[in-house]
Parts: sequence; structure tokens; C-alpha cells
Amino acid sequence: MTKIVITNEIRRLRFEHREMTQQDLAEKIGVSRQTVNAIEAGKYWPSLEVAFRVADVFGRRVDEVFTFEKGGRK
Amino acid sequence: MSFREKSAWVTLIAIIFVSVLYVLHVPRVFEPTHWAFVAMMMSVASFVVIEVVGWLVLRLRNPAEARTPKDELEKLIELKALRIAAYVYFVGSFAAVFITLHLHHGVGGHVVGASVLLVFIVAEIVNYTARIVYYRRHS
Repeated sequence: MTKIVITNEIRRLRFEHREMTQQDLAEKIGVSRQTVNAIEAGKYWPSLEVAFRVADVFGRRVDEVFTFEKGGRK
Repeated sequence: MSFREKSAWVTLIAIIFVSVLYVLHVPRVFEPTHWAFVAMMMSVASFVVIEVVGWLVLRLRNPAEARTPKDELEKLIELKALRIAAYVYFVGSFAAVFITLHLHHGVGGHVVGASVLLVFIVAEIVNYTARIVYYRRHS
């Protein structure tokens, strides 16, 4: 199986949306600030539901916020 | 540090504190006495008091976070920690029963009960330690 690496543009999008704080984003999508931090840092991959919520907050498609790259084999 | 992580710290400290006090003050596990039973009840009561007071203090200091329901990452962390603790409890219980019944012939049921209780306490310590490790890893 090919290993995939998921990256995201949350930090840049927050900056572009009047420097929205992690706390603001967390309240909008219904998770804790720590969870937003973990997602942003790539330490946790969110569920589809949360991914869609994040994309909705920024008015983007999910694949514009989260992208994946194929890496080596697992 | 999140509210959930602080709560896990409070519970972990309460478990360790009460368990150590109990073990230090009730050394004769092999003799079921009225005092041992009273000490155990007092330990359970102490644990509940520490837990409730700690939780109330944390809630007063973080009211918004305390009201927020657990999100998916927090639920996942709890499940992962619980899985590790369940392995410890499952294996530990069998080992405790085997050791007390087969290696020490003639012991009473209270010794088996005490050893299984000890395994439960160790499993809970593992549970809350694992939670804290996962919270740290994701912070």
C-alpha cells in the first residue's frame, strides 16, 4: 500500500481571513483549540465532517484546504 | 494545557495519592480486618472528594472549556488509552488470580479480591497516563 501524507493550508487561510485565531476557528467548527492546533500541525487528520466544516468556514473546497501526496510504500 | 488534560492529571494524582496512602496504612493484606475495610471505604471517599474538588476548581478556572462537549480527537484519545488499560486489566487479572490461587495455596478470597483490585488500580493509572501522553503528543 502506498503511504500518503496529508498536508493542509489552514494556517495560511486563517491568516488570509483577518488573522483568525485557532480559538475562533475551533468555536466555528465545534472542536477544541488543541484539536485545531493538532490538525494544523499535521499531528492529527480530522474526520470528513470536520474537514468539510473547516473548508466551509473558509469558503473553499475540501481539496483546497487538505491535500495529499503519495509517499513511499508502507 | 487543555481542560481534559488537566482533568486527567487531577484523576491520576488522586489515584496515586489515595492508593499509596492505603497501601502504607494497610500493610497486612493477608489479614482481613474491620480496619482494612474501613480504610478502603475511607480511601474511596477521599478519592471522590479529591476528584470532585479538583474538577470544580478546574471548571471554575476554565468555564467555557468545561462546558464544551468532547470533540472527536478527545474521544479518540480516551478510546486509545482505554484500550491499553483494558489489556493491562485483562492480562493482570488473570495473572493475579493465577498467582494468588496457584502459587500461594490456602489464601482466602479476600487476597484474590485485593490482588484484582490492585490490578484495577494499576490499569487506571495506565489509562490516565496514556491519556496524558496522547494529549501531550497532539499538543
